[in-house]
Order: sequence, then structure tokens, then C-alpha cells
Amino acid sequence: MASAAIRRGAREVKPILSLDLDESRKRVLNLYKAWFRQLPYIVKQYDIPMNIEQCRSVLRQQFTNMIAYQDVRLMDMMVIKSQMELKEIVNMWKQKGHVMAYFAKDTVEPKPKDFLSKFLSGKD
Amino acid sequence: MLRQFLSRTFSRSLPCSISQFSNRAISSEAVAETTIETRPTVRKPDEVARGQLTDFGKYVAECLPKYIQTIQITAGDELELLIVPEGVVPVLQFLKDHHNAQFANLVDIGGMDVPSRHNRFEIIYNILSLRYNSRIRVKTYTDELTPIESCNEVFKAANWYEREIWDMYGVFFSNHPDLRRILTDYGFEGHPFRKDFPLSGYVEVRYDDEKKRVVVEPLELAQEFRKFELSAPWEQFPNFRNANPAAEEVVPEKK
Amino acid sequence: MAGVSKITTGLTGLAVAAKPHHTLGVLYSKILRTLQKMPQDAAYRRHTEIIINERAQILKSNSDIEVVENQIGCGQIEEVIVQAENELILARKMLNWKPWEPLLREAPPNQWAWPPAQAKN
Repeated sequence: MASAAIRRGAREVKPILSLDLDESRKRVLNLYKAWFRQLPYIVKQYDIPMNIEQCRSVLRQQFTNMIAYQDVRLMDMMVIKSQMELKEIVNMWKQKGHVMAYFAKDTVEPKPKDFLSKFLSGKD
Repeated sequence: MLRQFLSRTFSRSLPCSISQFSNRAISSEAVAETTIETRPTVRKPDEVARGQLTDFGKYVAECLPKYIQTIQITAGDELELLIVPEGVVPVLQFLKDHHNAQFANLVDIGGMDVPSRHNRFEIIYNILSLRYNSRIRVKTYTDELTPIESCNEVFKAANWYEREIWDMYGVFFSNHPDLRRILTDYGFEGHPFRKDFPLSGYVEVRYDDEKKRVVVEPLELAQEFRKFELSAPWEQFPNFRNANPAAEEVVPEKK
Repeated sequence: MAGVSKITTGLTGLAVAAKPHHTLGVLYSKILRTLQKMPQDAAYRRHTEIIINERAQILKSNSDIEVVENQIGCGQIEEVIVQAENELILARKMLNWKPWEPLLREAPPNQWAWPPAQAKN
């Protein structure tokens, strides 16, 4: 039985939610829409110091960052996790700090690049 | 008294071919284990329980040949059933509801991560039968992306345990009624019990006085790459290397 | 007060059974009927039939509940009823699962090997 599976070459895997790429693509799009519609409420409820357009561009960025992952199960898994995050936001389980972690990375100092700034920051 | 009860019920309810075999098995093992353990700090395996659990393991394997891959005895007298991932619900339901098993309590669900394996995670169900005063372990395996069927419909206690496994290892349980994080903070990234999770985590959380809020910053990892050395530090000592195997397999007799 | 021999089972949530003989008889016949749909040589069917037939025999030959409880030796009669209910649910689910079929698949090599450092040798 095992040798037959090897000869076939492809690995049989158990689906998480979706059976093919189309289905998981739909799930991703639905998730995007859900986030998109929730954004005005998020901005209001969590008092985010950004306007909705900026938030939308951040959201778009987050999704396009993941565009390289075109595996059905991987997409499903990321959708599931993102769905849980959205639920945490909608139910107000998260606090402002948690939500701001998506939008504002402005507190992170950029890594020193040239020699002098590396020297001044004390890092090699 | 419970012990007597246990042995009486088992031997009575099993068909005679098996109970004859069980007597033989117990006696042969008693002969094999003639070296009596005298060191006071070493736990002595319960020979009676061992014989009964061995028989019970064979009994379960006979009843559910579709799901049970291996039966083994570990630590002298602990029974482990190693099953295919699809068999979680059927095996647990059988062990809970069958007259001869009645393992009605789910004590714990554990996880284990061995990155070198083909399926890196092991899921371990510890169950207890109050009726027969007995504990056994059911083990199955999965990888990062293969879901395991939730046994929440069999044991209501599984709800939070499965959430814990999901949170700590990232194993997805399908058909779970309420799968979400349970131990980590909202917005936490990664699954802390995975072996490739760095000790410091991926991000750092602190209060920023200027922004007047808690900020999350990525952490610079000193160690970029880890090699998983799974050998124990005392591997070089023959006493350890040639010690008894961790588990003894029970081979059910063929018909 | 002939039928009611006791006031309580002493177990929370478990009421005294009014007509245990009747209840158990129905349950056991239902279980046996479910088992008959399984293949003749299924081990689960054989073992369960032996248990059920034995208990049904004890139940039939004794009218006194206490004697029945002692001979079955698996707790009070109410607990025996609960066990029979569980077995019935299990047997019905087993019809769908078909656990008597051959093993679905062998484990990948070294999947269960422990300790993993010694598995490669």
C-alpha cells in the first residue's frame, strides 16, 4: 500500500477546509471583505489615530504580502488564524495596543546600515 | 477489592480463547521477570496490571483493526495504543462506551513535537476508567497542516485541551465548537511549544511613554539558525545507550 | 412498595429505575439487532454479543434486582442501564465506521521510534 503511494508520486493530504485553489481563494476574498467592512468600526471603537483610507492601504498591504503562498492548505490555515484575530477584534477582546500592532510600526527604529550609525548604536 | 473486581470482570467477559491466552501470557511474563527490583527509588511495575493491560490491548486491537497500528507497554505497566489520525473519534468512542472498557474520563490531551519526523506532532490522549480502575494512553500523529478530528463530541472535557494544543502547537482540530487561543495573548504570533519557536519569542512588548500605549516590536534574534540535536547528553555512556527500550510492543496473535 | 426496593442510587443525576427489567430488555434487544447488521466475523460483534447475551441471560433468570446486580458485577442496575445505552449508541456509530476493515495505513517509518536520536541507526 505504501509503495503504491510512492509510485504515484503525489502525496495524499487531508484538506483543512477547501478542496481546491478556487475554494480557498474565495475564502481569502471573503476574509478580505470582512476585514474591509469592519475597518470603520475598528477605527472608531479602538480610537485608531489614522483615517480609514490609510487603514485600508495597510490591510491591502497585509494581504498582498502573502500572495506568494498559493498552497490550498496553507491559505486555509492563514484564513483560519486571521478569522480568529478578526473575531477577537470584533468582540473587543483585544486592546488598543494589540490592534495598533497591525497599523503602526513607527516605534521600531530602523536597523543601522552604514558603519558610523552602526558604531553609534553600539551594534556590530 | 477493585483489582479483584477488575480481573474478575475482564476474564469473565472475554471469550475463552483469549482468557486462556491471558493466563499463559501472565505466567510467562512472571517467569521472565524473575529478577526482583530491590533498589528503593525505582518504581516497581505492577505485574498484574501489566498482564491485564496487555490482554486489553490485544482485545482492542482485535475489535478495531482498522485504526490501531501498534500496541505497546511503556514504563513496565502502562498501555499505549498507537492509532491512525482518522481513528481518533472511533477509538475514543469505543474506549468510552464499550462494556469492557468504560474509559469515561478524559484526563488530559498532550502534544509532542519531534521536528525530525515525517509527521512532526504527536497528540496523546490520557484516559481513565473509574469502573476498572485503569488508565491508558491513546497516541496519534499529525503535521502542521493536517487537521485532527476533534473528540469534543465524545469527551466534553476535550474542549479546552484541544484549544491548548491548537494554541501551543498549531494543530488544527476540525469540528471543534470553539477553537481559539487560550493561553497566549491576543496578537501573539507563533506557537510556543514548537521546537523551532525561539526561547525569546518573535516580538517584544513594552509600554511606550511617548505614544502612551503598549507597543509591539520585532525582536532581533541573536540565533538565526538552530540545529535540532535530539540525542541526550549522556548518549556516550553504554549504560544509557543499551538500557531497556522505552516501549515493548505487544504483538496480537494471528488467526 | 414491592417494586421500589430503594429510594436513591446515591449517585448524582442518576435516578432509581422504575422498571429495570423492561428497560434493559428493550436496550439489549436493540443492541443485538444493531449487531446483526455487522459482518459475522467482526470481533466487535462477537465480543459484544457474548457480553449482551450473558447479561440478558442473568436478567431473564432472576427477578430480584439485587441478585442481578451481584451476578453482573458492574455496579447498580441503573449504571448497567447507562452502560447498555452507551453500548447501543456505540454500536450504531460502529455501523458507519466499520472498524473491522483492515488497517487504513501503516505509520511512516520511525514515526513511533523513541528516543528519536536512536531511530536513525
